[in-house]
Amino acid sequence: MTAALVLGRVVATERKPNTPHEFSFWTALDSPVGIGTIVRVEGPDPVNGVIPRVYGVVTEGFSYTDLQTPLHDVLGHDGRPSAESLSATRRTEIRLYTAAVLRHLPEEPLQPVPMGEVYLADVDDVAVALRMDAYLRAGANTGIPVGIYRAGGIEAPIYLDADFLVGPEAAHLNITGVSGLATKTSAIEWLLASTFAHFPLQKGSVAAVCFNVKGPDLCFLDQPGELDEADRALYQAMGVPAAPFANVQYFAPYTAKGFTLNTLRSNEALSQNVWPLTWGLREVMQYAEVLLNKEDVDAKADAFIDFIRERVLDREFTDDGFAKTHRVQSFADLEDWFRDLLRTVEQQNRGEHWRTHHVATIRKVRNRLSNISTRCAGLVTDEGTVSDLPFGAFDDRAVYVVDVAGLEEDAQDLVFARVVTKLREHLERRDLGVNHVMVFVDELNKYAPADGADTYVRKMLLDIAERGRYLGLVLFSAQQFRSQVHRRVVGNAGTSLYGRMDGDELATPGYAVLSPATRTKLATLEKGQLMVRHPHFTQPIFVRFPRPAVMRGRDGAERFPQAQEMTLDAAVARALRRLDPSITVGWVQEVVGPHDDADVLRARDVTLRTRPDDVKAFFAAQFRRIVPAEQPRVRPPRGLRVPRGANPYGDDEPPEEPPF
Amino acid sequence: MIVAAADTANLRLDELQRALARALPSASLTTEGGPPLELSPATDPPVLARADVIEDDALRVHRVAGAPEAPFLAFLDGTQRSDLVAHTNDGAPIVLGVVGAVIREWTGGRGATWSHGRQQRLYAPRAAMLPAEWDAVTSLGLTAIDTSANDAGLAEAHPAAHRDAAIQQIQSDRGQLEQRLAQRWCAERAEALYVDGGLRGSVVLARASQTVGVIKSHRTLFGDRAARRVIFALAAGERTSVFAVASPSMVPVASWYLRLHERAGRDPLWGLVRVEVRHEPDAPRAALRSRADGISARILAERTPTAHPDARWDTMAYGIRDCEVFLRATQ
Repeated sequence: MTAALVLGRVVATERKPNTPHEFSFWTALDSPVGIGTIVRVEGPDPVNGVIPRVYGVVTEGFSYTDLQTPLHDVLGHDGRPSAESLSATRRTEIRLYTAAVLRHLPEEPLQPVPMGEVYLADVDDVAVALRMDAYLRAGANTGIPVGIYRAGGIEAPIYLDADFLVGPEAAHLNITGVSGLATKTSAIEWLLASTFAHFPLQKGSVAAVCFNVKGPDLCFLDQPGELDEADRALYQAMGVPAAPFANVQYFAPYTAKGFTLNTLRSNEALSQNVWPLTWGLREVMQYAEVLLNKEDVDAKADAFIDFIRERVLDREFTDDGFAKTHRVQSFADLEDWFRDLLRTVEQQNRGEHWRTHHVATIRKVRNRLSNISTRCAGLVTDEGTVSDLPFGAFDDRAVYVVDVAGLEEDAQDLVFARVVTKLREHLERRDLGVNHVMVFVDELNKYAPADGADTYVRKMLLDIAERGRYLGLVLFSAQQFRSQVHRRVVGNAGTSLYGRMDGDELATPGYAVLSPATRTKLATLEKGQLMVRHPHFTQPIFVRFPRPAVMRGRDGAERFPQAQEMTLDAAVARALRRLDPSITVGWVQEVVGPHDDADVLRARDVTLRTRPDDVKAFFAAQFRRIVPAEQPRVRPPRGLRVPRGANPYGDDEPPEEPPF
Repeated sequence: MIVAAADTANLRLDELQRALARALPSASLTTEGGPPLELSPATDPPVLARADVIEDDALRVHRVAGAPEAPFLAFLDGTQRSDLVAHTNDGAPIVLGVVGAVIREWTGGRGATWSHGRQQRLYAPRAAMLPAEWDAVTSLGLTAIDTSANDAGLAEAHPAAHRDAAIQQIQSDRGQLEQRLAQRWCAERAEALYVDGGLRGSVVLARASQTVGVIKSHRTLFGDRAARRVIFALAAGERTSVFAVASPSMVPVASWYLRLHERAGRDPLWGLVRVEVRHEPDAPRAALRSRADGISARILAERTPTAHPDARWDTMAYGIRDCEVFLRATQ
């Protein structure tokens, strides 16, 4: 303990007494105390032979003079505000503060705060006050820096406990704040870097999966950002390398045309770690309920979808009257199967049912499922091509960014549901490749709203929030309005960060526990400042964190402009150049020759997925396998005539078969 | 007459009464409390006194113009509190007197204590007490003052007379304490010292060039009827001519009246103070005028901030109120 100057004195009156959890003290007018300052009180009298020591954080401040009414000041200045007195005297003024108790030492007996002297907490005091001493000691050492506490010239790193951030004691982190101040994304990027740098060895490996849901926010995590000296000093003080993430992998679906990836990180200079994210029928059917509207798909439709899932997908399937034996592995196969089924029903004149399923239900399900590949174009392929995150081979300290910013809302939900479910399955089996995964989801207002329908995504988020810590699946979530997020999602977040807040949001009941001064401070926080709540901290603490050492999305988008829409040959050449830099557009044109776009794209996807040693030979070989054959002209069966406009599902889709 | 113990002892009234009850079981303790004895109705009769005008031929009005050369940097004030501890069986009062004085210096608009004194004593009329009773009083660990030491007639006096004697003695002790602080200031500092009250009672205060006494109450009013008419008619920012105040038992001083605030609709003495400074009989009239104007300008500058919420804010400087608050807090 340093021999610090007395900063103030504890005071109490009968009308405003001190309690075990709150006390008042006054200071000199020039003291460095402010809202959020941590102080130490030394009691004057020993209790059980020990001088009590109390730590508190300032939550409210008052200043006043002995002026009884403003009229007296008017009187003193003869009613003229500019009338300056020539006297040396000024009214006596007080700075009176209220502090919330952080910790008593000794902890028992828990008594009201004594009328002691008040000192500014030094670095050691801060550690004790916030109970960080328990997890910063040798042997535990599970501290993860979240920022620097500053007051009166003292700078103390504030640590979160990894056991309470990543589990198993508690887990999850939620950050809230107004948009446009780069606080939420920056704080998450900083905290991921800090976690990677300080995650305790004994707790195993850790990786992060980030969903980029808007703009280029997370598109340049592997590129260095601009830092000033103050930022570098913060990095040094907290022992975190001021460098971008060393291992980042990007995954994005294709555009609807399927030529290029649908991401703002499409500049060729950055393409070395950008991979396609495409799924086929099998992957989508596992999560059909994410995409199918519950109000639209009733129990009968559900039953038929289950039938397809269990009896048709990936199996040999035929039935009396079917033209052939089907093996449904893609949307194209499924469409074939539906055509055969409906034709059979019509030809055999079986009435309105096939295997207990009503024809109307069959048509409805066909309509909804085949619609998926349109709604999720670029993500879901007709051919069943799968390109996925490396489940089972996750790297320690790697960041996997899933860029869904360019997808429709349904498709975003599908991606989110499937990726998180796969993470969960692998973590349960302990074969993901890492022990812990931090999943970052922004816009939680949208995915887990407090009100609204109980969607699959919201249920899954609730499940992670409530049970994920046992698996090592940790949710890092962000939103603008915490009050509008499902209570169980934010309530299960062991650690909460708050950036600058909107006044209306602060007026909601969830913030009533904060003092008016703390709320005012939250409404005026600068960039780079956060209020932290953590299980070990009995009161919220304000910290400052450095700018992330990665390129800001806006800067990255300017420096690495998005690739222009290109021809199929150019797109294929560019995709293959990642495997073999000698591939040119001319060579691709020569190889693909007259083959149609679908064949070329299929060849590209297979090559990218296989990553052969001889890329050119492998790619060219894909076309030799395609033997163009003239299809025998078969008169298609007469379809069930449905007058245009009489479609019971309201789709008004063109008739599947041309009428004779 | 000081009999025993140091003035630095500090006992609460209840502690003192418990100690006295042990030392003198026959004493009748005053346990029901009550206001300090100073709050008893004043017994001093109002007095009209003569004023010898030395600045002009007759008392007249001077408008104080211009800004002060420098503000007052220091203020001196003292307080006293007298509480009845007990009575003997003969009705002789035993009084606890606490006096304090302080000089507060102002720099950068903030006041700080330059010097502070405090003493706590017991006051009792030994002549009206049994030897055992007096012995008990002197055994309590506080300095005991015999209030009958200089007046043999008090042996058979009315109990109220003993109480008045105690109050006067306490008042005298307070004056002496103030004088000690002022003496130190005058020895060490050259800046003006604003003193709450008159200077005539102290040779040190009355002869120092730094001290300016400001009297707020007017139990003694100087001048004849014509002079009083001038005094009562003073407007805010006006002063009277300087006059000499002399009496056989006191040190002569130069004095004048000064109106701090407009009295419209109020008592003629409202907002009126009397200033006392060192008397310089040989000073030319022009020098007298210049000095009186300069000091008056300084005093007028102390009208802000007002001494609210003190009821005497019309005549009290904020620096004096600050001293009183300090003394109350440390009493």
